[in-house]
Amino acid sequence: MTRARAFLGIAALALAVGLWMAMTAPPDALQGVFSRIINVHVPSLWLAFLAFAVTAIGSVMWLWSKRPRWDRLAMASAEVGVLFTAIGLVTGMIWGQRVWGTAWDWGDPRLTTTAVMFFVYLGYLALRGAIDDPVVRARRSAILGAVAVVQVPLVYFSVYMFRTLHQIPSIRPDGSTMPREMLMAMLVNVAAFTILYVALVMARMEVAAAEESASDAEAMAGAVVRPPRLSEVGDV
Amino acid sequence: MALLCSLRKVGVSLGGRRVLRDIDLALDAGQVLGVTGPNGSGKTTLIRAIATLVAVDRGGGMVLGAALGTDQVYEARRHIGLMGHRPTVILELTLHENLDHVARLTGIEPGRVSHALEVVGLGDAAAMRADRASHGMIRRLEVARLLLTKPRLLLLDEATHGLDSSARELVDALISRATTDGGGVVFVSHDVDRLSAACDDILRLDLGTMETSS
Amino acid sequence: MSFWHQTLELARVDLTVERRLGETLRIIAPFALVALAIFPLAMGLRLTLVSEMGTAVFWAVGVLFGMQVGLRRSSSDDRERRDLHALLGVDPSARFAGRVLAGSLLTTIFLVVLFLAMTVLYGPELPESAVLGATLAIILAAVGLAELGTIAGEITWGLRDRTALASLIVAPLAIPLVIGGSQTLQAMAGDTGILPWVLLMITTDLALAVAGVALARPLEEATR
Repeated sequence: MTRARAFLGIAALALAVGLWMAMTAPPDALQGVFSRIINVHVPSLWLAFLAFAVTAIGSVMWLWSKRPRWDRLAMASAEVGVLFTAIGLVTGMIWGQRVWGTAWDWGDPRLTTTAVMFFVYLGYLALRGAIDDPVVRARRSAILGAVAVVQVPLVYFSVYMFRTLHQIPSIRPDGSTMPREMLMAMLVNVAAFTILYVALVMARMEVAAAEESASDAEAMAGAVVRPPRLSEVGDV
Repeated sequence: MALLCSLRKVGVSLGGRRVLRDIDLALDAGQVLGVTGPNGSGKTTLIRAIATLVAVDRGGGMVLGAALGTDQVYEARRHIGLMGHRPTVILELTLHENLDHVARLTGIEPGRVSHALEVVGLGDAAAMRADRASHGMIRRLEVARLLLTKPRLLLLDEATHGLDSSARELVDALISRATTDGGGVVFVSHDVDRLSAACDDILRLDLGTMETSS
Repeated sequence: MSFWHQTLELARVDLTVERRLGETLRIIAPFALVALAIFPLAMGLRLTLVSEMGTAVFWAVGVLFGMQVGLRRSSSDDRERRDLHALLGVDPSARFAGRVLAGSLLTTIFLVVLFLAMTVLYGPELPESAVLGATLAIILAAVGLAELGTIAGEITWGLRDRTALASLIVAPLAIPLVIGGSQTLQAMAGDTGILPWVLLMITTDLALAVAGVALARPLEEATR
């Protein structure tokens, strides 16, 4: 676990720096202290999309090469991704409710796409959990990953069209109007969260590899069937 | 003699468990190979591996010229016929419609369907829905299917189970025709006496490995 | 036999089985009609609101229940039937296409029945010209739902929780169809262009068709 631990150590350091910068940067004039939540919300959303892309790449690469490593990568990224997606959605709803007066912005295609990705992740992990055979599990979840990578951009585009053609403004400004210190703090936190993501994915992949080698895959399936005890039939 | 099927140190895992290990097998044209063994020994999995319906994760082999684990098997499958221990029918269709479906998918002349049903003794039951037919009738329908498709490699998994004597004779005729036409047969059964009478060689499986060959 | 020949034959058998079992029209459609009836009760029977929500409720119910049509057809195959088709040399792409063809037709019929019921129950204000737009949107949505349902049915084939799991997989990915379909009707009612929404749905259907055909062999291997 040494590489994952090293990355975890670096992530802890980066997160500490990011936290310090987030707490010491001047708050937004309009949003007040609630603006600091963007240091968790924005990195989480960034990781939601990154993790999804990595799961998609892992899925396609497994379909092409059939190497178990790609399946472990896709799975690990999905597990970490669902966590960060949930954090991103919840922090976004808290922020929206406090600052803009509404927890959900239907005019924001990124938010809707993130919510869709969250459910796709849940479906992906539920599918994996329902299959015992490792090859069948890898194949079916890779197919779902590949289909999702085709459909999710269409989801984004459809919501974008919906918003554009109905001229529904997003409650969140598209461009950045933050003070420089706040922007720097947010970018440092994006980097710190990314290192944390890499560390968690590496650790999860190592655990998955260890689980695979520990599993008794060479135990004979038929070994559980024994010859009947005919002499004891009358005693039952 | 043409080699129809050869397996070298083949292993198969299903559900994370090993079902077959170190299977070596060779089937020549005109040969009938019997496979027997206790419950859970891997007989059905072996038949399905030969049919290329189950992936092999150890060793390798060839079936009708197609290397296992490659896309070549898609072409080879057209010449493989399988009669498994569970029926392969669409229950909502009649016996005639089931066979007609097979004929349409494979380009067989539709007129041969009625004749095949007559040969297996189901001519009068052609309009009966499969979900109302008896087990024995369904098995006869499957024999009719194999008569129609004329597979080069015939795989029978407990094919005579639940059949009356005349239906068993049908299966014997099917085997005889397959070998006469230059094909081969793999016949799985618990009935060792039957295998001894019908087969050139018998393979015994136990716990997924070959025990003896006689 | 050719790809198209196999596709048409597989679709024909699927439709024959459906005609005899009647699952789509006997079970799924009535269930969806019940769902249509529940919404106004939940809205407190405010008639103006009911009328405005009609087309939206149609699309929500239509998509959620419509995907079941494709799902159930894929789930109904047993292992022996799949083995038979494999050994008859059926092209996995033809299996996918045949299933989608039959599913599209059944889902179209289902959505048309649901749409007619909605117009009666909700009384939405739609111009006569909306019939053309509605028909087009229904057909495109039916194709997309059949594709998604078939893919999800294959991915979850043989699993214990397949019905709920497959629905969980399909529902979020059907959003472009919901938006495209509902906006087509709204555009007709508002006398604005339907082209962008129709193109969105066509793009979705094509993308799923390409994905389904490209993944047909891995999908078939995944059920072994």
